[in-house]
Amino acid sequence: MKLAAHYNKASIIISVSVLLISAVVYYLTINHIVRQQLDSDLSEEVTEVIDYINVNHRLPKPIEFDEDLTTFKKTSVANFDTKFFDAPYANPKEKKTEPGRAVSALIKVNGDNYIVTIVESRENTEYLVQIISTITLILTVVLLVVLIVTNRYVLNGLWRPFYQLLDQVKWFSIADTNKIAAVETRVDEFSDLSDAVSKMSLRATTDYQGLKAFTENASHEMMTPLAIITSKLDMLIQDEQLGADQFAQITDIYSAASRLSRLNQSLLLLVKIDNNLLHDTEKQDIKTSILEKSQQFQEMLQNKYIGLNLALEPLEVNASKYLIDVLINNLFSNAIRHNKNSGSIKIKLSENKLIIQNTGDITPLQQDAIFERFYKSRTSDGTGLGLAIIKNICTLYHFEIKYEYADGMHSFIVVF
Amino acid sequence: MKLLIVEDEQSLRETIEKYFTEEGSICEVCCDLKGALQKIAVYEYDCILLDIGLPDGDGFAILEYLKSSGKNECVLIISARNSLDDKIKGLNIGADDYITKPFHLAELKARLLAIFRRKTFGSNSLLNYKEISIDLSGRTVNVNDKEMTLTKKEYEMLLYFIANKGRVISKNAIAEHLWGDEMDMLDSFDFIYTHIKNLRKKLMELSGKDFFASIYGVGYKFI
Repeated sequence: MKLAAHYNKASIIISVSVLLISAVVYYLTINHIVRQQLDSDLSEEVTEVIDYINVNHRLPKPIEFDEDLTTFKKTSVANFDTKFFDAPYANPKEKKTEPGRAVSALIKVNGDNYIVTIVESRENTEYLVQIISTITLILTVVLLVVLIVTNRYVLNGLWRPFYQLLDQVKWFSIADTNKIAAVETRVDEFSDLSDAVSKMSLRATTDYQGLKAFTENASHEMMTPLAIITSKLDMLIQDEQLGADQFAQITDIYSAASRLSRLNQSLLLLVKIDNNLLHDTEKQDIKTSILEKSQQFQEMLQNKYIGLNLALEPLEVNASKYLIDVLINNLFSNAIRHNKNSGSIKIKLSENKLIIQNTGDITPLQQDAIFERFYKSRTSDGTGLGLAIIKNICTLYHFEIKYEYADGMHSFIVVF
Repeated sequence: MKLLIVEDEQSLRETIEKYFTEEGSICEVCCDLKGALQKIAVYEYDCILLDIGLPDGDGFAILEYLKSSGKNECVLIISARNSLDDKIKGLNIGADDYITKPFHLAELKARLLAIFRRKTFGSNSLLNYKEISIDLSGRTVNVNDKEMTLTKKEYEMLLYFIANKGRVISKNAIAEHLWGDEMDMLDSFDFIYTHIKNLRKKLMELSGKDFFASIYGVGYKFI
């Protein structure tokens, strides 16, 4: 739930409960006041009756009391407290019963005790309470509507810069050169946030660029010493005085130098893919590429007695020729290298999907780790960058790459 | 062959110089752009080995100079950058080939000879070595006037060995020449062995001589 919605919810709950409580209190208070008013009216009536009796020494006729219903009942009790209570009021004019308020009191007429009961209609006062309640209710509803509308439109407007910023952060990629632009807002918190985020993104991008430039330069700088090592070795093996031992060591140095050089080249390739530095993008025929590769790998396939099964439909993809070559080369050579003798490789190219399956180790690879840089199995003598390069090429062109293992077949699936 | 080596890294320059001098080429060396331009202006060379990254500017300036002054030296660019753009740029302004560091001396030699031959003799050229005669344009090989049928890899290997005759060539250098980056070294060593075995046998059948010497598992020598 959005913050605005949370805020809305809280503010509405609070305002509704406050309004409801105040409505109840309000109602009770008004009711109380009205009742007191009625009671004081009734007391006055009783006083009037007593005054009348004192003057006339007889009970008044009911007719003499406007609209109030007055009844006298002779009683023998000597002590009776005056009491007020709700009682129905039979309206003589309209011939119906209305809610009313009554008072009973003890009066003495010529030595006799009477209980006088006066009932007064509450209709008018009830009506007043109703009107006041209705107005309160309407006010409540209006207030709520205003609150909701305000929250929805005004607050949403206030939050807009925040969402704009959030959107930019979501789409921010450290490898891209486009920065996060500052959003315009009059809210101090948001403009601070916007400033902080753009500064942070700028710093991250700069750092990342610096790191990439460093990787590239470091790799390039390493090429010259490597060239010296290689060429010195090339000279060294011309020496006829060396013996088998020395040559064995030289062979190891050769291998190490060549591994280092490959590692370096792979790192450079990764940097190039990251920086999107290969601009030879054009239509590439994947089918032809695969056929060429299968020709190139013929010897390796035969050497391990690997059966190759191709099911290729024509497919063209917009990409760099070089990268497509690397992609297919890496997938294909992995399928051979990690295969077993007399194993098999199945390559299926359909509408938008390339599936390369191979037999090999009977345990599945770690799906989430294989595309990491420098991931490799203990027995592998590769650079550990082959799949990372594949992954990066796929990311660059928005291809999807997946690994699956089923029925003894390792499958790499590229969805173009 | 008269050769100018333009390379700022001293030990690399010296090694290259030594390798080519021992084989019989006349080598001159220089370590910067200024020196190279002075030498080129005064002397004639058959080939120039040119490092692109020089301390006082990039080597493309030399290519531009050669082009503008109508000189026709073969140029092989050496670069630490395996960059397609650099390669295209270099080849466009007159370089004949492009090699990336690190390289094997044998590879450098073979490449240099190939461009030198192409430029000097055109496409119609015969390469003779002892009993072996290779028609480079037709890609056919005769030994003692009898035709020898070779696979593509065997043919490439033979040319490579002849270019570096009398030198020990490491298996790594052969593997890189034949397969480039496509294959892992260890995989390819088995194939090299097979290819050399076949080539050796074919040559022996026609010439009665063994041209190959195996050097302690590190590589081979063609004699």
